Amino acid sequence: MNSAPNIADPDGFYEAWLNAHEHLSDADSAELDARLVLLLANQLGDQELLLECIAAARAASNGTKR
Amino acid sequence: MPNTAETWKFAPAYELPAWPFVEPPELVTGRTRRHPVVIAGGGLAGLTLACELAQRGIRAVLLDEDDTVGVRGASSRGICYAQKSLEIFERLGIYERIRAKGITWSVGRTFSGADEVYAFDLKDESLSEQPPFINLQQFYLEWFLVERILELDAELIRWKSRVVAIDNESDHVKVEVETPAGRYALEAEWFIDATGANSRIRNAMGLEVNASHGTDRWCITDVKFKQPFAVERWTWIDAPFNEHRAVWQHLMADEVWRLDYQMNEGADPEAISRPEVAGARLREQLGPDVEFEFVWIGPYQYRDHLLERFRVGRTLFIGDSAHVVSPFGARGGNNGIQDAANLGWKLALVLNGEAGEVLLDSYHAERHAAAEENLKVTSRTTRFLAPRSAAEYRMRRAVVALARTHEFARKLANTGRMAQANAYPSSHCAPSGARSLQNVAFEGTSVMRELAEGTRLLGLWFGAGAAELASVEDLEKRWPVRFRSVEADGALAHHLHAEAGTLVLVRPDAYIAAVVDRATPGFVEALLRSALGRAAVGPAV
Repeated sequence: MNSAPNIADPDGFYEAWLNAHEHLSDADSAELDARLVLLLANQLGDQELLLECIAAARAASNGTKR
Repeated sequence: MPNTAETWKFAPAYELPAWPFVEPPELVTGRTRRHPVVIAGGGLAGLTLACELAQRGIRAVLLDEDDTVGVRGASSRGICYAQKSLEIFERLGIYERIRAKGITWSVGRTFSGADEVYAFDLKDESLSEQPPFINLQQFYLEWFLVERILELDAELIRWKSRVVAIDNESDHVKVEVETPAGRYALEAEWFIDATGANSRIRNAMGLEVNASHGTDRWCITDVKFKQPFAVERWTWIDAPFNEHRAVWQHLMADEVWRLDYQMNEGADPEAISRPEVAGARLREQLGPDVEFEFVWIGPYQYRDHLLERFRVGRTLFIGDSAHVVSPFGARGGNNGIQDAANLGWKLALVLNGEAGEVLLDSYHAERHAAAEENLKVTSRTTRFLAPRSAAEYRMRRAVVALARTHEFARKLANTGRMAQANAYPSSHCAPSGARSLQNVAFEGTSVMRELAEGTRLLGLWFGAGAAELASVEDLEKRWPVRFRSVEADGALAHHLHAEAGTLVLVRPDAYIAAVVDRATPGFVEALLRSALGRAAVGPAV
């Protein structure tokens, strides 16, 4: 898994991600992220990499309830 | 709303054959006899094994507590028979009857609401003489098997005979049997428990199956009607006509459709299977004008279990007694049939003294691994169809939403992965593992026809000349094996990616034991020794 910066325009990406969630209810927001995860996962494709990303996402929760 | 004015019709019950109880020699003479193989249970697995053994010339005894096939009460349990099973039945001589009576299909479609999410056509990957699937009520298959067994050995099946106790001795198993004419005992060199999921034999031996029960409830409704539905497997993830829960739609013989409805988890099984409730569900799906007759209504819940050892001393477990999975993908009955095909030739060769007893441990190694894989595959389907949390529902909605426009997401929708012949991992008698060979037709014959006679491995030697075949003549005398030359540029060579000189060693269950590029008699003998449980350690291939 690549933890080094790889996103070409980090601020631009983050803004676009926020914009996509604008005016959505919490529920609709969560639905959107679920679709986004699937689309991104298909870009990666590699099973080992996907499993590493899932584990890393799960490990990095910042004090919210698991 | 249920139409209270409508009266619900039931089709007449299936007419099943019955066979007479015949007083066994043990009761007539009062003498206990020892039999090479005694099988308890005349379901799919038990009957297939009995047929295998009869065809291989082993005089087995099958004990069944009933005197007919199927479950009393007109239900059919299994309905989908996979290619590997059909190939086994081709070898056993009942495939044509199955094909003539059953419904051949290969296309499956999955819907969400009114939209198709994904479809598959299993014919695309098939080279076999048999189709990917035939649907048929389970009791018809059992019926054909019984009649075939009676042709081969009229005394093999003992009806109205219930096993009440077994005793595992070092060189045999003592079996106590209860019959209408009294109790008797017989002895078995090898005893097979094929008495199903709730096996009392297995339970009396204190064997743990690690059973778990699903909370998801379903209601099967077998219905007779004439409606031009497609002869395909249709599944709905969330059907508008079933309160957005899953539905299955499949055709069987006699114009009987199996419609299987996912119910609310808390649903009362008695209430959901009342004719007026089931009838109202059907009206939602079929509309007001289609006339239909109920054949059977049956609520059920999933369970699964996996026995830890499929061989315990001289007792072997096959079919549901050894493993049960949820029904998605038809991995129940088909795997009972494959258990029987895996065990049949091994028992025959061990009993004939042509293979080492360790070959029977490879039955456990191979079929337990297959059962584990089936459990994993079906559990994933179960979780897709019955999400366990709000988050899991959300993930499923994401899959379905994307599937409409993005092809990749269709691969994530899971309403069952259809049963295939599981590949076997490396084990003592199969150091390279083993994979199934389809029943490919070649040079006026077929794989199954070549395997139909006797119990021998088959050496398919591509492009072999007289000199090559002469070099292995000696092996044919000393081992249960037969070699034949196969055209190096034909359909079979293409299927196996074989070139001139390749030798493919096929087991009697049509699994490939080894592929050798430059075969020498010495190396082939080492392979045979390994495949037949005669080697200390198998050769590396």
